[in-house]
Amino acid sequence: MARNAVILAGGQCKWGVREAHLVDLFQEAAKACLNDIPTLKPKDIDGLIVATSYAGRCSFQVNTAPVIAERVGVKPTSICTRCDTLCAGGSTGIILAMGLVQAGAADIVMVAGGEKLYTPQKWEVFYSELASVDHDWDGVHGMGLPPPFFALTAQEHMMHYGSTKEQLAAVSVANYNYAATNPVAQMQKALTLEEAMSAPVVVPPLTLYDCCPITDGAAVCIITTDEIAKKFTDRPLVYIRGTAQVCLNSVSANFPGAHLADWKHTRIAGEKAYANAKVGPGDIKVAQTHDCFSISEVIEVEELGFCKKGEGGEFCGSKQIELGGKVPVNTDGGLLACGHPFGATGIRQGIEIMKQLQGRARHQVKGADIGLTHNLSGANAEHTVLIYGREPVK
Amino acid sequence: MAVLGIPILENLYPSTMDMWPLEAKEFNRNWQFYENLKQGRFTTTKCKDCGLVSYPPRVICPECYSENLEYVDLPNKGKIIVFSEEVKGVPLGFESPLIHAVIDLGVDPARRVLSRIVNCPAGVLKRGDEVQLAVFPVPALPIDKGKLGTVMSERVFFAFEPVKK
Ligand SMILES: [Zn+2]
Repeated sequence: MARNAVILAGGQCKWGVREAHLVDLFQEAAKACLNDIPTLKPKDIDGLIVATSYAGRCSFQVNTAPVIAERVGVKPTSICTRCDTLCAGGSTGIILAMGLVQAGAADIVMVAGGEKLYTPQKWEVFYSELASVDHDWDGVHGMGLPPPFFALTAQEHMMHYGSTKEQLAAVSVANYNYAATNPVAQMQKALTLEEAMSAPVVVPPLTLYDCCPITDGAAVCIITTDEIAKKFTDRPLVYIRGTAQVCLNSVSANFPGAHLADWKHTRIAGEKAYANAKVGPGDIKVAQTHDCFSISEVIEVEELGFCKKGEGGEFCGSKQIELGGKVPVNTDGGLLACGHPFGATGIRQGIEIMKQLQGRARHQVKGADIGLTHNLSGANAEHTVLIYGREPVK
Repeated sequence: MAVLGIPILENLYPSTMDMWPLEAKEFNRNWQFYENLKQGRFTTTKCKDCGLVSYPPRVICPECYSENLEYVDLPNKGKIIVFSEEVKGVPLGFESPLIHAVIDLGVDPARRVLSRIVNCPAGVLKRGDEVQLAVFPVPALPIDKGKLGTVMSERVFFAFEPVKK
């Protein structure tokens, strides 16, 4: 009999500028996760996948999985490893856990992602970002911090498709307002279009609210099979129906699209995940896409098929990403307002989709039965898509 | 010179904190790229078996896995497709304005090379402007040679700059 993977539970610690060590954040998130499923105990968990990219640079700690296993009281017997795909690390961990439980190589896997990015001297995290992109060919040009790259992307989207600064601002407004009541978000304030439009310049055309902040934080979820999950919960099961992770380049000169606003790799990731999940873009009731910048969400809603290519600005600017719109996006606040501790983000997204599909989200999308998460990582070098549903793929 | 908070690192070089490539032959099989830069040549590798030109340079052809590669010249001049200017909040290691551009060098695989633009004040660049290769020295790489002591290996890097009209 086929083993179907489900996301059983999840939780995150408070995200933001945290007075805490990396291992503290993981412990807080593990507790929040098990609070979400009180019947599950640490001893029930047989696998651990840790997603962190900056532990090596900002916490002087590689081989992070045993360190985290010990701190969260888990004694893995099937898998105990770390994955590093920067901004997609959490989603990668969920995909790997899915494969392991489907194959029968593991039964109950904790996927834990987190970063402690604020170092005692502020220069260090910014400087270390040179490692986030291809060091010798892009980092060396000062492309480590992403605003210049996404400013170029926004300019090319405006040139080719006529999107406007106001449409970018609409993304920030929607996501900030979703997060205004999210107790674990880094930014918990409502934002008006006027505030977004008059914010200080970062790199034109991007201004303050177009860019996600730097964030300390962790998130943890549990991946298991539907049969095992039923022993622990009466909640509706949330299946991982299909996934894809696409990498066509690393160095920005080899960007796969015709220009920086043409995200061929996102398109391929979406198409493959839809095919694996046996659904189409029209079936997605709620999505968490990678809004590292407002322009990213504008392009993602196009490339993932929620609207036509080039119409993402209009889609986001006409409230289609808000509750009641065609596809509510980033209903917990997204990266822009929740913050973005790289390895934790994909897990945060998975938890929000799980809650949406179980009918217990803060900004609940009525009747949500299929949901999608998406990450981009590096200098727009890799795209990861997961599709969740209330039913397994038949 | 001591490193603040870590007195044991006095006069020691941590390569994990080096923003420039480890260009020396001892640490990089594509060292020829940087030697060519020192001669004012912007180059990359071409596969002598299947003909594929790759950027950046490689030690194997990513198409046919041949190791039979040669360095070929890329154009030194190109046109700006799009650019961004960062004036405030420029990260450590770079000066304001930090200008980035996507440059069309007119040949594959260099039709959209992302580079820093140097020797250019903020507010003067335009799309379509012609730019040329600019090679500049960067700090030498200190290599521990055992009994011979530390040898300083000279390094350069590149950006592009506006062509003077
Ligand atoms: Zn070849």
